[in-house]
Amino acid sequence: MIRTNGICKDYRTEGGRWHRVLSDISFTVAKGEKIAVLGRNGAGKSTLIRLLGAVELPTLGTIEQTMSISWPIGLTGGFHGALTGNDNMRFIARIYNKPFADIKDGVEDFAQLGKFMSEPVKTWSTGMRARFAFALSLAIDFDCYLIDEVISAGDQRFQRRGHEELFEKRADRSLILASHQPDIVRSYCSRALVLHRGRGKVFSDLELAMQIYNDL
Amino acid sequence: MLWGSFRVQRRVIAALMIRETYTRFGRENLGFLWLIAEPLVFALPVLAMWSLIRAKFEHGVPMLGVAWTGYLPLLMFRHIGARSLMFVRVNAGLLYHRQVTILDIFAARTLLEILSGYASVAVSGLVLYMLGAIDPPKNWPLFYLGYFYMTWWCVAVGLIIGGLSERSELVEKIWMPFSYMYLPVSGFFYLAEWLPDPIRKWALLVVPPLHPYEMIRSGLFGDVFRAYYDVPYISMMYAVLTLIGLMLMRNVREYVVVE
Repeated sequence: MIRTNGICKDYRTEGGRWHRVLSDISFTVAKGEKIAVLGRNGAGKSTLIRLLGAVELPTLGTIEQTMSISWPIGLTGGFHGALTGNDNMRFIARIYNKPFADIKDGVEDFAQLGKFMSEPVKTWSTGMRARFAFALSLAIDFDCYLIDEVISAGDQRFQRRGHEELFEKRADRSLILASHQPDIVRSYCSRALVLHRGRGKVFSDLELAMQIYNDL
Repeated sequence: MLWGSFRVQRRVIAALMIRETYTRFGRENLGFLWLIAEPLVFALPVLAMWSLIRAKFEHGVPMLGVAWTGYLPLLMFRHIGARSLMFVRVNAGLLYHRQVTILDIFAARTLLEILSGYASVAVSGLVLYMLGAIDPPKNWPLFYLGYFYMTWWCVAVGLIIGGLSERSELVEKIWMPFSYMYLPVSGFFYLAEWLPDPIRKWALLVVPPLHPYEMIRSGLFGDVFRAYYDVPYISMMYAVLTLIGLMLMRNVREYVVVE
């Protein structure tokens, strides 16, 4: 279970003022639940994902968790561009205390990056990074995955495999997914949190949430 | 519980140190041996110059030994300081992983500098000893104790610089002139004994690294000069500086925006 209690996030602007990106966001994600975060550009989706991943701290409010939560799986963050895929993987295996060999097998099978694993990550394409980030987080094995747009960067095969991993092999895992893509949201999530002007509301009816999001 | 979290921290810091060595020195050619070689590349030419231009002995103290005990701690100070500047900002990507804390990042970077500093002391000391340029320390415990306090001083300054530089970019600008001014003031070039009485009193009061410099040199040379140091005084002073540094570190995250 993850529960956020009235979280707010302020950023300092260049002019020295404060800008509130998220305001009083409260919701709960139960074990196995898959929830989408919808909102237009700048609505605070990525900020929310980063707060849940403890990359940044909320200005106000608290986040309770009884599940292990992944780092935010996106196109940026979590990796060092100058290091190779293998070295990034070694580092992450070390800090999460997982045997490197197990992780390596899982990632190779899922991401299929072959010889690119010994090239610096900064030379990879967007799709390759997406596959790597997703595969690595699956190999570490979390209770809840935080995914920021990254699925849409992968190709059809990747999307099919991702779906398979999260629904068939890991049906009991939770997912918090920020995305703009209606078909991805429909195929992965059963509920949605709609963000608008810093406020957020959870809808159990996914279609209603998508409609409201479209009308924003 | 505490032991468990200590083990996690130790694992994370070790992983960060390995990662840092890879990113800094690459995996080709010398790799991590650069850690030792890097300070030596700086130090050996400088020491060679000193031995050419300065008299062999001044005030009865071998000058090459003064340069050797002066320059390597100076390098350590500069390197730890430079590595602390904006250390969170340049590593913001690491904060994606929740078990990596700001202090882990600081510890990994600083430990690497300390190890590199010590290794270069050992290697250059051995080289100079084999060349007959210096004698082994007369008082090993004092020599080590001096290095211990010197390291503590560098770490305390690193914490403060690290904490401040994330708040204001001014700190980065000030660090350069500060680390240059440090050169003549710190005790690199002089022994407290050489100073006139009133100035020495002040120097010992306001120049924190002078005490460990005196200890290191007294450890190396023995009783050929009178060493001035006050261990309780610097223990207290460094503890206060460390505390200030840790307080500055505590809420550094509020100032960092992670991409």
